[in-house]
Order: sequence, then C-alpha cells, then structure tokens
Amino acid sequence: MESWIEFGRGPLFRITFSLMLLGLLRAVALTIFGMAEAYRRSPDKIINWREVRRQTFAWLFPVKRLWRARPLYSTLSFLFHLGLLLVPLFLAAHVLLWKRFAGFAWFAIPQSMANILTGLAIMAGIGLFLGRLLNPEARKMSRALDFAWPLLLVIPFVSGFLCSNATIGANAYQPLMILHIYSANLIMLLIPFTKLSHCVLAPLSQTVTAIAWKFPAGAGDRVAATLGYADMPSWIPKARLERPAPKTMCGEAVAK
Amino acid sequence: MQLISPEDREKAFHSVKKLDAIQKQGLAVRYHVEDFEVHDRARRFLEAFAAILKHTNYRVALDQYVRLSAKCSRCTVKCQVFQATGDQDDIPCRRSELLLDVYRRHFTISGVLRARLLGDPGLTDETVREMAEAFYNCTACRRCHFECPMGIDHALLTHLGRYILSEIGIAPRALVVSVREQLTGSSGNTSAVPVPALLDTLEFLSEEIKEGTGVDVVFPIDEQGADYLFLPAVSDYIMEADTLMGGAAVFRATGDRWTIGTGYFDGINYGLFYNDQILEHVLRKIHTEAERLGAKKLLMGECGHASRVAKFFYPTFCGEKQPRPVINIMEYTHKAWRDGKLKLKPNVITERVTYHDPCNLARTGWILEQPRELLQAICTDFVEMTPNRRDNICCGGGSGTVSIDEIRPYRTLVGGKAKAEQIRATGAKYCVAPCANCKKQLRELMEDQGIDCQIVGLHDLLYKAIDFESGDTHGIVD
Repeated sequence: MESWIEFGRGPLFRITFSLMLLGLLRAVALTIFGMAEAYRRSPDKIINWREVRRQTFAWLFPVKRLWRARPLYSTLSFLFHLGLLLVPLFLAAHVLLWKRFAGFAWFAIPQSMANILTGLAIMAGIGLFLGRLLNPEARKMSRALDFAWPLLLVIPFVSGFLCSNATIGANAYQPLMILHIYSANLIMLLIPFTKLSHCVLAPLSQTVTAIAWKFPAGAGDRVAATLGYADMPSWIPKARLERPAPKTMCGEAVAK
Repeated sequence: MQLISPEDREKAFHSVKKLDAIQKQGLAVRYHVEDFEVHDRARRFLEAFAAILKHTNYRVALDQYVRLSAKCSRCTVKCQVFQATGDQDDIPCRRSELLLDVYRRHFTISGVLRARLLGDPGLTDETVREMAEAFYNCTACRRCHFECPMGIDHALLTHLGRYILSEIGIAPRALVVSVREQLTGSSGNTSAVPVPALLDTLEFLSEEIKEGTGVDVVFPIDEQGADYLFLPAVSDYIMEADTLMGGAAVFRATGDRWTIGTGYFDGINYGLFYNDQILEHVLRKIHTEAERLGAKKLLMGECGHASRVAKFFYPTFCGEKQPRPVINIMEYTHKAWRDGKLKLKPNVITERVTYHDPCNLARTGWILEQPRELLQAICTDFVEMTPNRRDNICCGGGSGTVSIDEIRPYRTLVGGKAKAEQIRATGAKYCVAPCANCKKQLRELMEDQGIDCQIVGLHDLLYKAIDFESGDTHGIVD
C-alpha cells in the first residue's frame, strides 16, 4: 500500500498535474485565439475596457456581490473556493511534497488555519450540494455532474483532514491517504474538460462577451447568401416561402 | 418573489391567435408570425445556425458559455419575468441552455461524439417551438448578465436565438412588417411616415412653440454640413411632440447647427432585436443620409435601443477609420447646460418626478447621471426608484416586444409588473422615460395596472424650464 501512495503522489501526480496544466493552457489558448480572430474580423475596435475590467475584477473578488442573490448559497460558494484555492497550494504537507519532488517550494499556511479552511470547505461543499438539491430552480436545470462536483471535491478534503489529524489508527491511515491522493488526481485530470476549467476561463468571460458583441461587417449578408437567399431580402419570410430549400448544406451540421 | 395572480396569468398568457393559424404554422407562440416554410424546421434551424457560426463572432462566446454554465440560478433573482411567473422556463440560464444545448450537441466535437454513443437524435421540432416562445419572453435587458458569476450574457444568447429563428422565418409579424417598410417601403421608415407629413408636423411644432413661448424655433431640414444629424425614433414625430419641441428648444438656446434629413429620419433599428442583417442595412441607411448631408455627428433622440445601436454598431458597419461620433441628445443637452449655453429655470416642476433608466442606455453605465442632474436642476421633488441606474428594472417591453400589440397583457401583467410596483412605490406624478419603447410600454403599464403617473420624456420637462430670456441668443434675432 505504501508503494501505491508513493506512486500516486509521485509519478502519477506529475503526469496528472502536467496534463491539467496542458489542458488548461490549451483552453486558454483556444479562447484567446478565438477572441483575437473575432476581434480581427470586426472593423470596430472600440471596447469599453474599463467596464470589462470592472466586471472581471468584481467577480474575481465578489465579496460585495454575494448578498445580492441567493446570499447563503453564494457565501458558501465563496468559502468553498477559498478552501479549494488555498489548502491544496499552501498546506504545509503539500509544500513539503513540492520541495521533495520539484526541489522548490513556497511558504505554507499554519496548520490551524488549514484546518479551519478545510472544515469550511467541507461544510460549504455539502451546503452547495444541498443548495442545488433544495432550490427548485437550480435542481431543475442541473445535470448529474453539477450535483456530483461539490461532493467529489469534498472527498480529498475529508480524507486529507482525517489523515493529518492523526487520531485515526494506522490501519485507517493508508486507505484514506490512497483515497485522498487518487481522488485529487482524478479531479485534476477532469478540470480541463469540465466546467471546472472556469478556474482559468472565467476571468476571460467579460472580455469574450464584449468581443462577441462586435459583429463582422457584412456577416448578415453572407449568412443569407450561404442559406441561398442572396438575391432577395431575408427579412421577407414570404419570399422565402416561394423558394425551394437550399441544397448546399448537409443535414447533420458539422463540428468544427 | 411576488407571483402574479392566477387571473392575471390567465390574461397574460391568453393568445389572440386563431386556432387554424396555430395549426398551420405548428407554432403556439402568442405573437403573430407571417407564414413560413413549416416542414423540416429543426434541420433548417441547424443550417441557419451553422451559417451564422461560420460568418459571425458568436462562436467564441458559445464556446466559453457551454464550458462555464454553472446553473447556480443566481440570475433568477434579477429576471423580472421569472419573478412574476415563477415559471422555470423563464429562468434566464434555462432559456440560454436551450440554445447552448443545441450548440453543445451539434457543433462541438464532444457533443457529436456523445450523441453518436448515446444515439441522441439531436434537435427536435419541439425544441425549436420552445425557443420561439422562450426567446420572445425575454426582454434582453441584460440585468441577469451582471449577476452571473461566470459572466454569461443571456441577452446575447437571446439575440442569437432570435436571429437564427428569423432566418428560418420565425419572427414577430409586427417587427417584420415595420422593417420591411423601413428597408423596402416607399416611406423608408418603421412608422411609414411620408416626408410631406413629416414637414407638416415640424411646421406645426414650430407654430406650437411660438404660441407657447413666443420664440421662433425652427426645425432645420436637409441642411448641408450641419454639426448634428438628428435621428429620433420615428414614432416621436407622431406621438412625442413635447420631446421634439424640447430638443429643438435646446438647439435654439445653444445655437448649434443641427438638421433633420428628409432622405432618412428614423433612428429605430429592429435589427438589434432579431437579425444582424437588418441591423447592418438600417445603419447603412443612416450612414448614407449622414454622408449626403455631410453631417459631422449623429445625434440620437430619446430612444434607448436606437442610441445603443448607433453608438455601438455604427463604427462596425459604416467602418471608416474615423467613424462619426454618436451622441445621445441627453448628453448633448447636459453638456450645453454645464457649459452655460443652456439656461434652465430652477424649481419649475413642483410635482414629484422620478427617472426610469432605459436598459440600453444605463446597463453599460453610458448615460446615468446626465438626465438626473438636469432633472434635479428643474424639479423640486425628484425621487429615485430602487433599484436604479445600472441595476434598473426593465420596463417590460424591451427588445422590441413593446411593438407586438397582441402580447400587451403579457407585457403589462408579467414583464412590467416589477416596474409598475417600483413606480407605484415612488408616488411620482411624472416618470421620465427617455426612450420611445419604454414610454409606450410604461403608458400601457400605467393604464393596465391603474397607476396615476404620467410618462414623459426628459425634454418634455426641460421644455417647460428653458430660459430663453437670459441665454445668449447667438445672433439670432427674435
């Protein structure tokens, strides 16, 4: 079992961590490339950067906004994020691991603070799950993964908390550590491909939206031409009635 | 959350459409739609979607939104439609999800693969029908955008959804008819006002001002090289005499050169509400007229969407290196007043006055304080609605729905309910709504909700307070 632990936090961690970084890098690169392309296509380069910046930072540090809508849920979400960001990066044991495997490290937060943050994150994670389950609107909209995420994210916290507060016996320690390490690795693998990619993409949202509101000139005419209505104004549905459907496009729309 | 009563719900969702029209079109939406090709709608929807993705910039936003949508339902708090109906289909995020799901399923690799694996048949006619209903329940006020932690702009998705629907022929007849007149009709504007009628109106307004204030105020027609080409919502020429008189009086006081062009004099652009092609063609008409007259700036009248379209899309579609500056008449008046060119008599309006922020002007923080400062200068009792400014509540007739007369009960009982409560709470005698759409909607709202408040434009009130005596006459002799 010891070797499983060593493998999970050694070579496996290095692989999943690199994959996560590469995946996130790809997501950011694609988004930035998409934005640049869209920006290039629009003749209008005027973007209200002040507004974009204002909104972006307001959501990066949303303390003031929590109370405006679903206050309890939002506050829990904030605490959850706080734990998710700080504990994995700054827990003393994690910092030591970095030192051991990578040769460099950074400062660590005190264990008592880590304990508090972990406790908050666990409670918040369960709270978020319940908040989604008990709010009829959120429940109706959510998919299975939306419900699963807070619980999945809580697993490494619970197991890690139990391991670090060594009141548990040696028999329980190893399975819990394995659970801790492998669930964390799984989460890291999933991050780039799921909505958790918002950890890097969300700060780009306001810019994306601002750019998406910039339209390329002549796009409307080209759309109409592609659909086979080049020679008649597309705002006359009657004209479209008299014309057979265009045959140029295939039925199954193509993925990019 | 305050839901509407069951009786109101009955009234709001009652459809005036004839049963055979609904059956023929296979579309149970409450607004009238001109006949269109009904067969194979889902396939044609996807074709239109694909064509739009190919030529426009929406893809970057869709890619971002399908990844991030967290469905936290914070937006429910901000949506005045959902707050009134409590109907889960009216949650902004859920409405957007209709379209995002189509994108995910048909236009992303993972979606296509998953569909192959699970044997998902893809977009159905039922979803198209659902979208036709949902996207016209939304007023695209963008209030929910600022409550979304992920930054999803539901109004952008409403706009895109309507655009795709219009490409397969589903668009409210009221909007389609107006746009057809504007782009292909003989009058060339949405209200079908012919030029002689316009000239008559302007002459009448001049006489009216002379009678009321004793000063000569002209409406300059087709003046070459004027500083400002004035483009109000064309309906102002029919319905909002006071607003126009106020605007003209301001120019009389400042002495700046402005003009109304007989070639094209309509600021309205329904393209923003449902079709990018129309958006562009209408702006080109404005551009042509501005070029013909050699006007230096575009001056938009008191109209939210017209101003937003001109300000944010004129540089896109009429793209020279240096596009004409676009300003709203409220900005102009405020600046003139600040510079001392315009003198206003204080305390002229003694009744209680409140100000409604049109979404298209206020949401981005473009015009917030100017009208308030002007109102505070002339009113003794100015009160704010809560919430206000960027966080204002939509009048309930946004994004062109105000022009759809057959859904009036929906607009006044559902969409405008929150606004009605807001105005009622202020106890104001006048509500200033500097937007043609808001004015029409709010008047109907006051009537249907039984609130005693008069809806006016900003310049209606300023007109009563302009001091012609002490101001510089700029060499114009009465």
